[in-house]
Amino acid sequence: MYKIPAQTYPIIQEWIAHGSRVLDLGCGDGSLLKTLAGTKQVEGIGVEISEEMILKCISKGICVYQADIDKDLSEWDDGSFDYVVLNATLQVITRPYRVIEEMLRVGRFAIISISNFGYARNRLRVLAQGRVSSSARISGGWHDTPVLRYVSLKEFISSIREIGVEIMDARYIFPFNVVSSTRWPLYNLLAKEGIFRLRRT
Amino acid sequence: MSHNPTFVETEVLSVERPFRFESGDILPRIDIAYETYGQLNERRDNAVLIEHALSGDAHAAFYHKGDRKPGWWDCMIGPGKAFDTDRYFVICSNVIGGCRGTSGPSSINPATGRPYGLTFPPISIRDMVEVQRILLKHLGIDRLKCIAGGSMGGMQTLQFFCDYPFQFESFICIASSMKHSAQQIAFNEVGRRAIMADPRWNNGNYYDDVPPEGGLSVARMIGHITYLSEKMMQEKFGRLKKDKESRAIFRPSFEVEHYLDYQGISFVKRFDANSYLYITNAIDNFDLKTSLSSRDRFRGEGRQRGAHLDDMRGKRGLVISFSSDWLYPPSQSKEIVQFFSAFNVRVSYTEIATEHGHDAFLTDYTRPSEIIWGFLSSLS
Repeated sequence: MYKIPAQTYPIIQEWIAHGSRVLDLGCGDGSLLKTLAGTKQVEGIGVEISEEMILKCISKGICVYQADIDKDLSEWDDGSFDYVVLNATLQVITRPYRVIEEMLRVGRFAIISISNFGYARNRLRVLAQGRVSSSARISGGWHDTPVLRYVSLKEFISSIREIGVEIMDARYIFPFNVVSSTRWPLYNLLAKEGIFRLRRT
Repeated sequence: MSHNPTFVETEVLSVERPFRFESGDILPRIDIAYETYGQLNERRDNAVLIEHALSGDAHAAFYHKGDRKPGWWDCMIGPGKAFDTDRYFVICSNVIGGCRGTSGPSSINPATGRPYGLTFPPISIRDMVEVQRILLKHLGIDRLKCIAGGSMGGMQTLQFFCDYPFQFESFICIASSMKHSAQQIAFNEVGRRAIMADPRWNNGNYYDDVPPEGGLSVARMIGHITYLSEKMMQEKFGRLKKDKESRAIFRPSFEVEHYLDYQGISFVKRFDANSYLYITNAIDNFDLKTSLSSRDRFRGEGRQRGAHLDDMRGKRGLVISFSSDWLYPPSQSKEIVQFFSAFNVRVSYTEIATEHGHDAFLTDYTRPSEIIWGFLSSLS
């Protein structure tokens, strides 16, 4: 399965205001919401599809809603949340534009983190091995990996603008835990991940 | 309040003072049948209130002496079970209007010395709640860890929690709804008509005679069709025939007919036809949102219902639905989640994959037990 990058937690915490209402899509075992509840006193709800993860969330006292985020966001009213988070989950979504639009409908801001498929190691792997579906974060073969979307930071940034979404803030995570908020040259080759704070333009 | 670990008895609280119904009608006295399991702790804060469904009663768990079957939710209540009686003091009572020990149409009217029949006041889900408040006061319990129930039990759970949120730390609502849809009302109405079309019903005056068993068993048969999923029914019975040799026409021959027949017959032995009418009527008229915005002119504390909704903030809730439940479909459970989320109740929702239809809330206990155990353990 896909590894949740904990490096993004401090960045998300920095962006989220104290006491806000947060919806975490694909919340896994609820660890992000647990962290945010502790440090930022947020009122958080997680959305998760896996029964195993739901049980973990409920047992931790995390509020969780079992749903398929590709289908079920329509139940929340407009502006129900301050932040809607999609942490390391975009890659497994069937209709990403639809989900991003829904995120910015139910929430004022969206926070999306993605693993950069344009990262040098991923490029080398494809180049050297000729294998597309084996990147550092992906398990399984092409036929059963949950990862459906292979996207680079550059592609994400340019496409997100086209659908009327503004990037308010971004952090690029490089090897050795180097994090930058500016888009350095060659970022699309050297950054492992990116995380973005978004709103409607 | 100590109990033998295996055998329990239904106790009856006699309330010798008038009870005023939501309709405004008054009864001079009522009985409340209830059972308790486990021990109330010294801080008196480990109580869990269980709410039963249409055909349930106060006997939720363990065995009555001489019985072969335990209470209706024994799979969920007991030592080490979801509602762990080693940790919680579990209470369950029979609803007002019922026929299993709490006052209902089959109870004796002290003014006439005869059963109330249809002179029993119409009941509401809120009346069921108010009667339980009398019981809780009697037991000396003000704050409860949780209130939980499935189907009609879920309706009582929601009503109780919304009317008196300050009494509860959390609620668990299983396979239920904030109000009945036209389809749900329609099925209940067919059941009621079956009873009323039985000449033995006699406008509710049958207590000296043979009760309307034919009508009540048909009502129960309809109920059971709605409790099962189509797939489960097909897998369980298909077109199997029990008595291939029989030449009698229109006698039950398919397995499914025998099953329904059995369900109907066993039901009439333990249930009162008038109670069936009263309770299904209460279920159909239940509308949580409306009930919270309308005034109740009659009772004291909650003079204006919905007055305490803001107290729900930060409380915990758990809503469970079953994937193949078409009587109380998952969409109705999701509406409950949205309703409470809007009041900042911290509600979790899970849809359990099962083929067992609405019946799953009584029969599928493995996954719900894990979830409920985890939920209750995570409370403060």
